[in-house]
Amino acid sequence: MGWRLTLRPYILIVPALLLTCGILYPFGLGLYYTLFDFSASKPQPDMVRFENYRTVFTQDAFWNSAWVTVLYAVGAAVVETVLGVAVALLLHRSSFVGRVLEKILILPLMIAPVIAAIMWKLMLQPSVGVVNHLLKPFGLGGVQWTDTPAGALLSSIAVDVWVYTPFVAILALAGLRSLPTSPFEAAAVDGAGWWYTFRRLTLPMLWPYVLVAVIFRFMDSLKVFDIIYALTEGGPGDSTVVLQIRAYLEAIRFQRYSFGISYTIVLWAVVYLAAMVLVRHLGKIQRKAAEAK
Amino acid sequence: MIGLRGIRKTYGRTTALDGLELDVREGEFFCLLGPSGAGKTTTLKTVAGLEQPDSGTVELDGKDMRGVEPYDRGVAMCFESYALYPHRSAYDNLASPLRSPRHRLPAAEARDRIGAIAELLGISGLLDRPVGQLSNGQRQRVALGRVLVRPARAFLLDEPLSHLDAKLRQQMRAELKAIGAVQHTTTLYVTHDSVEALALGDRIGVIRNGRIVQTGTREEIWYRPYDTEVARAFGRPRINLLPGTVTEDGGFRSADGKVELPVRAQARAGTDVLVGVRPRDLSLTGPGHELTGTVYVTEVLGRSVEVTVRLGEQQVSLVAARADTTGLRPDDPVRLAVRPENLLLFEADGPQGPGRLIGTR
Amino acid sequence: MTVRKRLLGWLADLALILYFLFALFPIAWMVILSLKPANELFSTYFSFTPTLDGYRTVLGDSEGIPFVRFFVNSLVVSVGAVVLSLVVGLPAAYASARWRFKGSENLMFTLLSFRFAPELTVIIPLFVLYQKLGLFDTYVGMIWVLQLVTLPLIVWIMRSYFADLTPELEQAALLDGYTRKQAFFKVALPLVKPGIAAVSLLAFIFAWNNFVFPLILTSNEAQTVTVGALSFLGGDRPKYNLTAAAALVSVVPPLLLALTIQRYLVRGLSFGAVKS
Repeated sequence: MGWRLTLRPYILIVPALLLTCGILYPFGLGLYYTLFDFSASKPQPDMVRFENYRTVFTQDAFWNSAWVTVLYAVGAAVVETVLGVAVALLLHRSSFVGRVLEKILILPLMIAPVIAAIMWKLMLQPSVGVVNHLLKPFGLGGVQWTDTPAGALLSSIAVDVWVYTPFVAILALAGLRSLPTSPFEAAAVDGAGWWYTFRRLTLPMLWPYVLVAVIFRFMDSLKVFDIIYALTEGGPGDSTVVLQIRAYLEAIRFQRYSFGISYTIVLWAVVYLAAMVLVRHLGKIQRKAAEAK
Repeated sequence: MIGLRGIRKTYGRTTALDGLELDVREGEFFCLLGPSGAGKTTTLKTVAGLEQPDSGTVELDGKDMRGVEPYDRGVAMCFESYALYPHRSAYDNLASPLRSPRHRLPAAEARDRIGAIAELLGISGLLDRPVGQLSNGQRQRVALGRVLVRPARAFLLDEPLSHLDAKLRQQMRAELKAIGAVQHTTTLYVTHDSVEALALGDRIGVIRNGRIVQTGTREEIWYRPYDTEVARAFGRPRINLLPGTVTEDGGFRSADGKVELPVRAQARAGTDVLVGVRPRDLSLTGPGHELTGTVYVTEVLGRSVEVTVRLGEQQVSLVAARADTTGLRPDDPVRLAVRPENLLLFEADGPQGPGRLIGTR
Repeated sequence: MTVRKRLLGWLADLALILYFLFALFPIAWMVILSLKPANELFSTYFSFTPTLDGYRTVLGDSEGIPFVRFFVNSLVVSVGAVVLSLVVGLPAAYASARWRFKGSENLMFTLLSFRFAPELTVIIPLFVLYQKLGLFDTYVGMIWVLQLVTLPLIVWIMRSYFADLTPELEQAALLDGYTRKQAFFKVALPLVKPGIAAVSLLAFIFAWNNFVFPLILTSNEAQTVTVGALSFLGGDRPKYNLTAAAALVSVVPPLLLALTIQRYLVRGLSFGAVKS
């Protein structure tokens, strides 16, 4: 009967394992496809080994996409972090206004990014969109938000910021609330000013919490698809073609399946690397924070 | 009865139990004493089947329990943390075993049994209350009730009284042993409190670093401790231990040469030893081998007084009645007496471990 | 309190209000748009005669777009995905929390790495595979692929909930005479109910909001509401009021659920992040 005891945990995870393998299979298949030149015009592909990847890395389009992706991810992550922490700090004061508004903080986060992009697209419409209408008295009523390369990228980042700032804010707020009060009380007794307290106490202690949020947001925005698809579809021109949009265009629009997947594999590698680097950095910061305690 | 043979249990790099041997006789109340981390809880959980030993056998009533699930072993355990089901009433907690497939009773019979146990433990009025609203002492009694409410081969009690305040602890100690079920069932009681062990145990086992160092009745443990650590574990104030060597004629001379004691050691001359004498075995007035020293400090302990006396380079403490110590001031000369038969002789403590008891003639 | 402090306090509150205006305005604007009659779309901004025509059109499946079907599809597929993930994931989470064994860390890490992968990596092979297996544009196909989104979430979060339970409660149940399966259902599961509620709702929201998978792996039958909302934007006369109405309708379920589980969401959002 002893064997049943050791077998039990395995029995419990078998369904999950099966499901996971079921999901891994298409991943493996995808990887496998990239070694061929599978496309709509070549349903019986030949094995081309790493040709696809070589083409990817030598294509201007790839580097353009990579650049746009990085711009987007960094831009979004930075703005979300700053804004999110600021909002968290303001909410932490627990003023009446703050306590009321905190209840609806999470709203934007729960709206599908694609829907949010649609909403913003409507609002940013040059002639009938409300944003331009509101800006008219300030003389800015004619901006072509999504029709210029810079504008398109900025608008996309704005949508990302709109949806995901609450994510950072919620984590930062939880972090702020879990900070020990004694250092702050000591600083207050010593007569430290707000800025000093913030720079020397709040920020360093809060940083590990915020970093987690930043890492997640950064990794996710490297993979962005929904928002760009709905807002600009990659345009105008190629100005907002992030890597996953490029993969979509290649694979689904131009039906160059293998080539398209190669793009995603490269993106996957990038995200993976970013994750490794950032998580190690996070580990270091968490250790430092634990020691400081 | 319970039998553990050669039990070894490791958790990663830490060894919790290291070749543990234990026998608890049928119907006896056995106290397992040890500091935290010694392996007491692991021992209980191994008997219960909640932990599987890496090697060794667990026997209940002579049957090997390998492969037998906890719910088939017929033992009941009272956890140190009580492990009461939160958000449920005291009644539900007590009824839980009687609703399980193994001990199922029809509702009416269960109600009677629970009522009787609750009466016994003095918690009859609390049955409907959720356990979150009970005090520590009440929770402890519910936990105990959950153990008593069903028939069991053995009761395993893991420091059940350690979270109670001193007065309640003493009261519960007395009540515990008076419970009939406890008197008839093999009980393995774990504690870190030596006073409790001496008070409750038919036999006591001292556990250290995952092994049983000594088992015996309270007399055996008290008068013939296995080593200096067992001797130090029992008795308050702590036993006095004087370092020194064995003399040519089998006597004892302290390290500084100032104290000599007639121990009749069964050891070679020159061996490094420790002489142990319990504070209550040193007296100011009685007969025995005499020693002289000076008072260092006195401390009143209620009706008695603890006097620390300097004998040469070392200090010993003794406990005497208050009447005998009036007027004693620090630096007063004082005369002590000890009967040679109350002297214990140990090897010196060393890197290999505490010094073991050496025989005296 | 000094005047300066009070002034700063008001400024802080003002800043907060400004942010929330930014956060809520788009939603408010969508409401306005959705209530505008079609002929007033471009003529006015804030003054209009409200009408429910937009909603009637959208929900009435007119304009050739079966919006109600999309909505139902989203419901079926999201609920289905969450249920499947719970049935499969809860035992796995429990096993990997209670016992350390060879497969568990690998499984955990594999599930986590699903989060790193771009969806399109798996979509194209699935596209081909689904065509072959007849799973294209089906409920089953969508529920299966959404496991990529819901399963890691549920297993990771529930694992930490189970790990937080002291094993002694289940051990007490074992000694009371219950089997491990009974101890799980009677003791462990009830204690993690809040966790299950929170994580199911969170998973539902992610499944509901998913866009890429239905975009490519469904066509007419199983298309979800996130893709469907886009369809009102097509054509030469984009019907903004209908799009707004459709978007708002599709936002209702996740929004309602989000407001319900407000407090538990912090833990959900930081799932495994701090611990991994």
